[in-house]
Amino acid sequence: MKPAPFDYYAPATIEEACQLLSDAGGGATLVAGGQTLMPLLALRMSQPFVLVDLNGIKALKGISRQAGRTRIGPITRQNEAIADATLNAAQPLIVTAVKHVGHHQTRNRGTIGGSIALGEPAAELPATAVALGASVEVRSTRGTRQIKADELYFGPYATALEPDEMITAIDVPEWPSGTVSVFREIAQRPGDFALVGLTGAVTIDNGRITRAGIAWFGMGPTPIKARQAESALIGQEIAALDAKAIAELAIADTAPFDDLHATAEYRRTVGRRVFTRALSEALDLRAAA
Amino acid sequence: MNAPEMLDTKTQTQAHAQATGYIGKRMARTEDARLLTGRGVYVDDVGLPGALQVAFHRSPIARGRIKSIDLSAARQLPGVYAVLTADDLARFKVDMLSFFLAAPVVPVPVLATDCVRHVGDPVAMVVAQDRYIAEDAAGLIVVDYDEEDPVVTLADAKTGPLVHPDADSNVAAATGNEDPDEDLEAQLANAPHLVTVEFEHQRISQSPMETRGVVSAPQGSGELTIYLSCQGPQLNARWFAQAFGMPQTAIRVISKDVGGSFGLKGQPWREEVAVVLASMLLKRPLKWIEDRLENLTSANQAREQEIKLRVAFDADGKLVASHADYGLNNGAYPQGADSNIAVMMFLWGAHKLPVFDFHARGWFTNTVGLAAYRGPWALESLAREVLLDRAARQIGLDPIEIRRRNLIRREDQPCTTPMGLELTDISPAECLDVLLEKIDVAAFRAEQAEARKQGRYLGLGFATYIEPTAGSTGIGVLMSESAHIRIEPTGKVSAVVSTHSQGHGTQTTMGQVIAERLGVRFEDVAVYEDDSSRGGYGSGAYGSRQAVAGGGACIRAADLLVDKIKRMAAYLLKVEPDAIVLGDSMIRALGDKEQVVSFRDLADIAYGEPERLPEGMDAGLEIQYRYRPPPITMTSAAHACIVEVDADTGFVKIKRWVTSEDCGNMINPAVVEGQIAGGLAQAIGEVLMEEVSFDARGNPTAVTYKDYMLPTIFDVPEFEYHHEASRPSIAEGGFRGVGEGGCIIGPPTLVNAIADALAPFGELKLEFPLTPSRLLAHIEGRREIAERAAPAESAPLPVPESARAASESASTVENLPAPSAPQEPVAASTAVQVDGEWKFVLSTPMGPQAFTGRMSTDGDQLTGVFIMNMDEAHFTGTVSGNQLKWDLKVTKPMKITLKYEAQIDGDKLTGKCKMGIFGSAKLVGERVST
Amino acid sequence: MSTHQIQLTINGRPQHATVEGRLTLSDFLRGDAGCTGVHVGCEHGVCGACTVMVDGNAVRSCLMLAVQADGCTVTTVEGLAAEDGTLHPVQQALRDEHGLQCGFCTPGIVMTLASLTAADNKAAPDKVMNALSGHICRCTGYQGIRRAARKLAGGAA
Repeated sequence: MKPAPFDYYAPATIEEACQLLSDAGGGATLVAGGQTLMPLLALRMSQPFVLVDLNGIKALKGISRQAGRTRIGPITRQNEAIADATLNAAQPLIVTAVKHVGHHQTRNRGTIGGSIALGEPAAELPATAVALGASVEVRSTRGTRQIKADELYFGPYATALEPDEMITAIDVPEWPSGTVSVFREIAQRPGDFALVGLTGAVTIDNGRITRAGIAWFGMGPTPIKARQAESALIGQEIAALDAKAIAELAIADTAPFDDLHATAEYRRTVGRRVFTRALSEALDLRAAA
Repeated sequence: MNAPEMLDTKTQTQAHAQATGYIGKRMARTEDARLLTGRGVYVDDVGLPGALQVAFHRSPIARGRIKSIDLSAARQLPGVYAVLTADDLARFKVDMLSFFLAAPVVPVPVLATDCVRHVGDPVAMVVAQDRYIAEDAAGLIVVDYDEEDPVVTLADAKTGPLVHPDADSNVAAATGNEDPDEDLEAQLANAPHLVTVEFEHQRISQSPMETRGVVSAPQGSGELTIYLSCQGPQLNARWFAQAFGMPQTAIRVISKDVGGSFGLKGQPWREEVAVVLASMLLKRPLKWIEDRLENLTSANQAREQEIKLRVAFDADGKLVASHADYGLNNGAYPQGADSNIAVMMFLWGAHKLPVFDFHARGWFTNTVGLAAYRGPWALESLAREVLLDRAARQIGLDPIEIRRRNLIRREDQPCTTPMGLELTDISPAECLDVLLEKIDVAAFRAEQAEARKQGRYLGLGFATYIEPTAGSTGIGVLMSESAHIRIEPTGKVSAVVSTHSQGHGTQTTMGQVIAERLGVRFEDVAVYEDDSSRGGYGSGAYGSRQAVAGGGACIRAADLLVDKIKRMAAYLLKVEPDAIVLGDSMIRALGDKEQVVSFRDLADIAYGEPERLPEGMDAGLEIQYRYRPPPITMTSAAHACIVEVDADTGFVKIKRWVTSEDCGNMINPAVVEGQIAGGLAQAIGEVLMEEVSFDARGNPTAVTYKDYMLPTIFDVPEFEYHHEASRPSIAEGGFRGVGEGGCIIGPPTLVNAIADALAPFGELKLEFPLTPSRLLAHIEGRREIAERAAPAESAPLPVPESARAASESASTVENLPAPSAPQEPVAASTAVQVDGEWKFVLSTPMGPQAFTGRMSTDGDQLTGVFIMNMDEAHFTGTVSGNQLKWDLKVTKPMKITLKYEAQIDGDKLTGKCKMGIFGSAKLVGERVST
Repeated sequence: MSTHQIQLTINGRPQHATVEGRLTLSDFLRGDAGCTGVHVGCEHGVCGACTVMVDGNAVRSCLMLAVQADGCTVTTVEGLAAEDGTLHPVQQALRDEHGLQCGFCTPGIVMTLASLTAADNKAAPDKVMNALSGHICRCTGYQGIRRAARKLAGGAA
């Protein structure tokens, strides 16, 4: 279990990194925290010719707020994000989600952008980005573009990123006051990928839901936005809300499959319950406040 | 099989030395100082000048013929020293062996020759300057296969093609009776209660945190130094010596620190042998460290089994009769073909059961071969204890009561089980008594009832078991253990012991025993067990033997040394030997005026001035003693655990786990408890999450630790230990072994707790591991039935066992061995040549046994003799045409009459030997001369 | 295949080396730097045996390249005990509580605990326990590890 040979580069700027990607013509792989990539290299499931290490690019680090949005540098380490006061104030759901990523030791190295760029369907951060309506800023020598998180993922580890592109920022809208977070992860052991995962936010104004963003993880080939449930929630009076019915709508959007650890039926059954309970608790909590 | 013959057994050893209180004390471990600071020496920590690294190219398919191998690209890669295949190693004659040093029943190639028999089968090996390049080159090897459909599961083995085309069948080993015993069947059919459990157990990877590994350094003299991650350097040196036909003294196996083994590293296997051979071929030191991918796909594995256990109870819930049908997946190349006779020995080893019969088979498949795993026979406890709980529910008894009515208590002994196990001091019932003092069962039942009303499902599970420890009956390699204790000329105490630690802490525990018996300070005793060239033979860690066998050897050796010291000191100090007292690393002569001498003082005289010793006393201060422990020493235990199963998610939370055991006198309670806890953690993994799985093509599907799930600190609760039921064993020191028990009693304890929690949903379907997904499917399935059947919720829905049994009768056409009994007897008038010299191979449960013999006839009378290990066994029988029949009475390993039936066809003889309760063994013979 | 000059501090001493880009930090520490207390248990970041401190944080050394540690301060299990052999408090607690058997996973556990229980940077007890979920021990059933961690971190987790 040793990586196949590659040329290693550690560019200091985004421009250099983009040039390396462009020059490699698709043969390069980016490494940020490397907590998922390194096992793939060791198992030789990934055999790039060129490895471009982003850890030396200062412009990719840091968290800032402006104009109602939070900008997260992709190579912000997961444990740095958990400790970051700005992120805790602006994006509590992201902080909750990051706490569930891997283990303390991998979070010391793993990055926010690395997890989002990888697109593991059972991972916490891609789904949270989808739920919150985040987008990623993407650069290449060809230019810069924004990709909405819910248009980023096509399948397991398959994203809309072109081989010469890299994420230079994660841009997350800040939800208004009156927003409650929902996060549930059912995993067999701490740090495992989810058997069933639910992440999202709901904004309540005067007893009525004005905004909802909810996504599943571990419930299909990509993070899955619970569009029908979101539509059903928006405009609803909390008092009149039927959490079970909303959960049915949420489950209808999922596409889970059988694997070694659980059946699709398990994921749907537990997903339905998790959704119902999480929503009820989130709204009761709000009502009590 | 194992009457504890009263050989060498001093129930109470005399206090030769002033007790220093080390035995029984929770002492910090000697090993820890180096292991905690990163100063241990595991095999990968050994670096030798010029050493090269090995990587294997392995088969990606489960079954197929090798059409061609192209090594050219691999050989051309810079940094590659050699690329070898079976052809390159063919110059060496290697006899692969089982742990018991028996020949395998099918040929085991070191590297694959003309065909591959499982995914991961090693086909070629690359030797390169580092492991990175070796893996690069291994990836450049191109092998063209003619792929065939593999035999993957136990069911496949019964109906599929032969895994080993030269074998008669896919049956690797068989014991017990093929044909149902009509009386037993009638008892089962007519009893007031017939209870059946039938289930499959998943395959388990031993998963020591350190994988296998070897560094082989050949020397110009022809000697070999082999650094090996193993369970005992002595046995492994002996294995290599026998396999290679070399003197054992020429092979030095060094195994300093080992990162766990659990049965995997009991003996060398294909990769280790390939590396040693390649080092001899290339005359270079070679290192191979198995990586985790290899470990999870190519290292031998364990536990894939099926059992159908039927038990008849009388109206009072007392056992009447039982039958077990058992299958064990041996894979393609087991480390000893096995039908696991120990499952049958201990299934009813502690219960008052009048009649028992069984049929057990091991099956070859196109999967990685079978190796040992902690408590290899553990399925007996799982099947029995789960069945007893079911029986209790079916008969309407409390699970504790059904155990009490059937367990053999101390006062019932000595007695003999239906399998011939002679019991003298087992105590599972007494352990259960202690356990029940620690748990308020009534309070729990009230809490459970209350919780169920709230939709919370609590469960309490019990299990009892007995564990054979330091068993050696009939197993030559396990007969004895050696200890060599020396007061060195410097006055320091050093001991070389044939025990070995892969985490057991034997350097500490043997040190405690020696220090106490010798009357020296613990820190003054240096214990060595890591180098086969240092001491005498011993098997190392195997079968929970080290406390009993190793501890006994240390006591005997120390006592002999104390005796010599006393006689010597008494003589020199002019007092009686009884006045000499050893303690605190000093020798004192009690009397009017106390005299004190040091070990150094005595050593100076013993080695340097032997003329001052008493008449007839040998020079020096050292003793080597080989201890033969009782043939078997029994450990008993009872455990209970309390779980909560979340009926919404199927998750199991273990809330409490209480243990009560009798492991005799403890050397170090912290080490004892560590063994129990480690076994229990493995049990928890086995029940809830671990599984080596394969797809239909025989591809392993859990090849990383993300998918082969091991328990974390959050999955294992705190364990409570109670030692009050302990009584000293008859072994020296009164010790009993404790190495495997947690892994044996843990699974049924946990399964019974889960089954109790989910009793409102009907009898738990036994599908292992019991993942949240499976448990929830069970809960949901029953919920739906309950909703359809009756509005009352959470009412128990017992499933009639008869209905269950009826649904399980789907018959399969089994690929059974060709009957060895005669088919077409040759007419009596035809002259058949019986008389002459023969060589025979009998396929016993311990592996094939080869021996020679002579037979002669006089009319229809047969006389003969078998010659085995300089021992002769004479027999008489009858001849009818080419049909022979004879009986052979043997006393070792137990008294039994072996009934042989055979037929002769030219110079070949085929037949079987009925071995009483052990069933039948295949016999083949070949004429040597007339 | 690229090679790189690196310079780092290992257990308080400088180390210079030329490494291939693909060389993992764990293999570099074990090989070039001689820190064989860094144990490689799975090489895919699950078992935690190879955990070391990089700039004070516990990380998996199998999930880093040696070249990525250029300029860093690395501490391995060899770097904790005092020169006179006095064990680090984490090592002493594990010894007192019988927190190890075969010792293969131990160096990683020691490093995680050392990084989270340092006097000047002590983590909350539940954080320490949660961090231990990143280590697999096959021998002990975690009994002594848990006791040692409690002793070091406080709390009843």
